[in-house]
Amino acid sequence: MESHLAYLDAGSGSLIVQALVAGTAGVVVAAKLYWRRVTGMFRRKTPAEATVGTTAAPVETATPAAATADKD
Amino acid sequence: MTPEHTRPVAEPGSFRDPQTRVFHADGEVLRGLGAQAAQDWKALRDSEFFARTQADRTVTATEEIDRELPGEPGTWSTTLRHEPLPFVTYPYEWSHTMRQDAARLHLDLLRQALAAGFTMKDGSAYNLQWRGAAPEFIDVGSFEPAKPGEPWAGYRQFCQTLLYPLMLQAHLDLDPRALLRSQIDGVEPAQMRRLLGGTKRLAAGVLKHVHLHDSIQSRNADRSTGAVRDQLRDAGFNTELVIAAAKATAKLVAKLDWAPPATHWGDYRETCSYSEDDRAAKQRFVDSALEAADKTDLVLDLGANDGVFSRQAAAKAGYVVAVEADPAVVDTLYRQLRAEGEKRILPIVMDLADPSPGGGWASHERASFADRAAKADVTLALALVHHLAIGRNVPLPAIVDWLAGMGHTVVVEFVHAEDPMARKLLANKPDGLFPDYHVETFVRLLGERFDIAKRETLPGGTRTLVAGVRRD
Repeated sequence: MESHLAYLDAGSGSLIVQALVAGTAGVVVAAKLYWRRVTGMFRRKTPAEATVGTTAAPVETATPAAATADKD
Repeated sequence: MTPEHTRPVAEPGSFRDPQTRVFHADGEVLRGLGAQAAQDWKALRDSEFFARTQADRTVTATEEIDRELPGEPGTWSTTLRHEPLPFVTYPYEWSHTMRQDAARLHLDLLRQALAAGFTMKDGSAYNLQWRGAAPEFIDVGSFEPAKPGEPWAGYRQFCQTLLYPLMLQAHLDLDPRALLRSQIDGVEPAQMRRLLGGTKRLAAGVLKHVHLHDSIQSRNADRSTGAVRDQLRDAGFNTELVIAAAKATAKLVAKLDWAPPATHWGDYRETCSYSEDDRAAKQRFVDSALEAADKTDLVLDLGANDGVFSRQAAAKAGYVVAVEADPAVVDTLYRQLRAEGEKRILPIVMDLADPSPGGGWASHERASFADRAAKADVTLALALVHHLAIGRNVPLPAIVDWLAGMGHTVVVEFVHAEDPMARKLLANKPDGLFPDYHVETFVRLLGERFDIAKRETLPGGTRTLVAGVRRD
């Protein structure tokens, strides 16, 4: 997929806050994001993912590699 | 035939986005666009949204031209030309209401852009400038076609350079200029959090935009923005939410009003020592000096107070920058000028004994006031010298040198030591501290740098006006 990174570091946390600023619908999106992060921690990893992050990092200190592993 | 042009010089404040760069040449403002930016521009140029921003002059008037720009071959695919600004200012020189209007315009443009399928790459207050009392968005390179599920990359920058400064003034009555001047990227969420603790958490917008923002930011510091963007999109984030966030933020900006405290300058005209005769004579003197000036495209009114002489100068000049140290006075003047739709008088806040230094990368990304003032044609320094010389102990020769760095024509009002206003300032200093503070000394010093064209003492006898033309 085409890179969608801006020249400016938008701040990963700032992007999430934006959802919360947007109101109820945004809060739902943020909640979903956090829920997926939590469930992603306990989800059985595919062998490919397992070689990337061997230890289950806690949510707050997840490495970028572990964070992308949350995706289905 | 193509006319010969001088080689464009890169604008030191335009380098952060490698896809676009501003150049100056012969008073023209040019912008180079890289391949991707050129493609984005073509989409923007053909949009009804962009046509609207050009018609209502909320985005700087821009046209495509055929002109080579400096750089490796192939760096710039397209060249744009922008309508030049008479005088560039920075957020640490704006009053609260100016900041509020700049923020309002930014969010308004973002909402319009999103509705038309575009977004903005950034959210910086430095992308806004002024034409008199009207804000204008100058960074055409900021617009790009929006991608589905994409949040606004500029939200953090908007908070740091516009929203937080508004909150500091509105919630704490704390002037944000010192922070803005020393930190080019604006006020950090963590700094705001420390300033807005206790019950201030409950003030409008503070919990979400400050506390939650800082806390989520630190908890996600290790995650890349790319990963978070993917997660947001997968969780259902969409353009509607960016529009809703912009709308909610605009509502907050409108709420962040500031009621300026009554200051002694606020009623200066009522309390100052002028008689009506003095005032009339002073006005005649200023008028005749402006009429005699060879060029009046840009006039600086230093120590402008309520702007009465800025207004008078505007009748005979192209553009007037009214510089005043009191933010409350500037805010009042700005609101008056805005109501009048004035596009040729720009009020700014600045302590002239401590004018804006250069800032940002290599101290050149933001130009110092001295650099910007150097291109003025006329400098008005009415009832200013005694504040600098007595109030701030600046030696008279240094004041004259400073004036010689600005307008070619200078109009100075020297307030004698016997004048009630000067006596008030002298009362705070030991007797005999300023033996040289005398009109004859001042005129002699001025005469070393300027040809004295005219000199007149006002009927009251305690103020002398001098007009000079710099010997270049």
